[in-house]
Amino acid sequence: MASVSVTNVRKSYGHVEVLHGVGIEIEDGEFVILVGPSGCGKSTLLRMIAGLEDISGGDIAIGGKVVNEVAPKHRDIAMVFQSYALYPHMTVEANMGFSLRLAKAPKNEIQQRVRDAARILGLENLLDRYPRNLSGGQRQRVAMGRAIVRQPQVFLFDEPLSNLDAKLRVQMRSEIKQLHQRLRTTTVYVTHDQVEAMTMADRIVVMRDGYVEQIGSPLDLYDRPDNLFVASFIGSPGMNLIRGHISTDGPVEFIAADGGRMPLPGKVDLERGAEVVYGLRPEHVTIGEGGVDAEVILIEPTGAETQIVCRIGAENVVVALRDRIAVSAGDTLSLIPDLGKLHLFDGITGRRL
Amino acid sequence: MKQSLGHRLFIWTGVAVLLIWSLGPIYWTLASSVTPAEDFSARPIHFLPQRFTLDHFSRLLGIDLARIGGVEVWAQFRSALLNSIVTSIAATVLCVAISALGAYAFTRLTFPGRRFLFGAVVATLAIPAYAVLIPLYQIMISLRLVDTYLGVALIYVSAYLPLSLWLLRSVFEALPLSLEEAAQLDGAGRLYIFFKIVLPLAGPGLTAAAILTFLGAWGQYLVPLIFSPNVTKPLTVLIPEFVTKNFIDYGLITASGSIAIIIPALVVIFLNRYLVSGLLAGSVK
Ligand SMILES: Nc1ncnc2c1ncn2[C@@H]1O[C@H](COP(=O)(O)OP(=O)(O)O)[C@@H](O)[C@H]1O
Ligand SMILES: [Mg+2]
Repeated sequence: MASVSVTNVRKSYGHVEVLHGVGIEIEDGEFVILVGPSGCGKSTLLRMIAGLEDISGGDIAIGGKVVNEVAPKHRDIAMVFQSYALYPHMTVEANMGFSLRLAKAPKNEIQQRVRDAARILGLENLLDRYPRNLSGGQRQRVAMGRAIVRQPQVFLFDEPLSNLDAKLRVQMRSEIKQLHQRLRTTTVYVTHDQVEAMTMADRIVVMRDGYVEQIGSPLDLYDRPDNLFVASFIGSPGMNLIRGHISTDGPVEFIAADGGRMPLPGKVDLERGAEVVYGLRPEHVTIGEGGVDAEVILIEPTGAETQIVCRIGAENVVVALRDRIAVSAGDTLSLIPDLGKLHLFDGITGRRL
Repeated sequence: MKQSLGHRLFIWTGVAVLLIWSLGPIYWTLASSVTPAEDFSARPIHFLPQRFTLDHFSRLLGIDLARIGGVEVWAQFRSALLNSIVTSIAATVLCVAISALGAYAFTRLTFPGRRFLFGAVVATLAIPAYAVLIPLYQIMISLRLVDTYLGVALIYVSAYLPLSLWLLRSVFEALPLSLEEAAQLDGAGRLYIFFKIVLPLAGPGLTAAAILTFLGAWGQYLVPLIFSPNVTKPLTVLIPEFVTKNFIDYGLITASGSIAIIIPALVVIFLNRYLVSGLLAGSVK
């Protein structure tokens, strides 16, 4: 096991720079997830850690040793590909034992380690099968098995669950997490799915367009997003973000672009007239007397909670309520924002205020 | 979907014409090879042989010559058959081996001039053999390779390499890169990956390249006519020699022709098994 440090790493394809100086410190044994929209450079960064892509600038170190010039096979890492990349002409057992056979490990040791991995992953009965005779979930397990048999310093996963159906994805999610709790191997995991990131990671790295937007624990990112991008990316349903400014006279209030007024916490220390974005998570709103009037547009019960899309002035706002209330479209609700959990962002830079 | 009678008639007619067109000469060769020599000049021509004989094959294969009082051609035929087989197999093995390595390099290695070089090699496909025959002859003379297996095989290789290279490059390009990357992370080197991952998965492509090369080499006439005058003379050059100034030995020509047809047919039938695709199923997604 080892730490991984990524320092000011850049990557260019020809004249196009796709990673613009990325820095991440991953501790020994940590489970770190790189998350961001498609095309933001997650896979590229992961492949650079693996050694499959050249490093255009900066350093990548594994276990304190810079590996920029070290061949993939000498980095002692194992990677699970999005496509699984199982060797189609080899049985499950041969697939899993491939690296050990290459390393000329003794036969009985190979067999032992393959059997151990197979037992952990529930693959004991499939060892003689070929990849083409496995289901998607089984292939995914074999790909993981191939990685854990190696007992590497670092595991790399590139969107390993994206080819599975929703139910299997949830199941594999918890299996991977349990596997990590058991093996404690440093893991870097790439996904575009923020739910996957929130549920599995020790720490999340949010990326966009080749930059790191924020690094933090799942709850850090949820509670204190550094900027508008992270605020809108993390959480489902997403945070309500309303553009407007601070009232120029009268009581200190937020005034939306369309003129609607929202309350602010008493202690805010903001310049009058400053442009801000008012950020409120759907679950941080309650219904009660003396709130902001909102017209109900749509009601979406999920069972555990009820999501209500309503309109304050010209803004659509989503509210998620634990309690089941009897409303219908066209009704007017009085919404009380939980001001202690309000997020305010600079309207120009998008930074958290 | 139900097709109209006219439509089906149209298709079947097309199929029939194609079949007669391509199988007709083969049938005629096979039928003639078992027709007694006297019947060759019989008129009208019969579609089915009226009488059956294996005399031509006996003469060709040197069996019981005393009975038919034939000429001794077995020695010539045997050596030509052997020559055809040896040069075709040698050319096939060399060509597939070289083009597999080359195509892999062109697919996965980056080196300066890669595209130009590939283009140049493939462009030689457009050069007709007769255009380079004489200079090639001079080169082969000076290398003392005329009328040697190696010499002829090398010429065939140079003739079929570009096609094979081009074919195999597209085969390798279609293989998922992630398999090779996975093997790389598992600790395999380039050559190990090539032999243990790429080649086994490229089986159908390699087979297709082998079939093309073998059939091409087997049917070569002009090249061996010049480069294989004696000891390495193949069937294609020998068979026309059964036509002499005064006498065309249809019996020998069609009997040896039949054998010359059967061997590549067997090769194709044998290799056909490896043409099956779908080997990749289940590896990536
Ligand atoms: N081999 C390549 N050549 C050129 N551009 C590439 C290559 N690989 C990736 N890119 C570009 O780099 C960016 C990041 O890609 P990638 O890391 O695959 O994104 P992600 O995994 O986050 O979806 C994309 O804009 C993509 O077009
Ligand atoms: Mg990706």
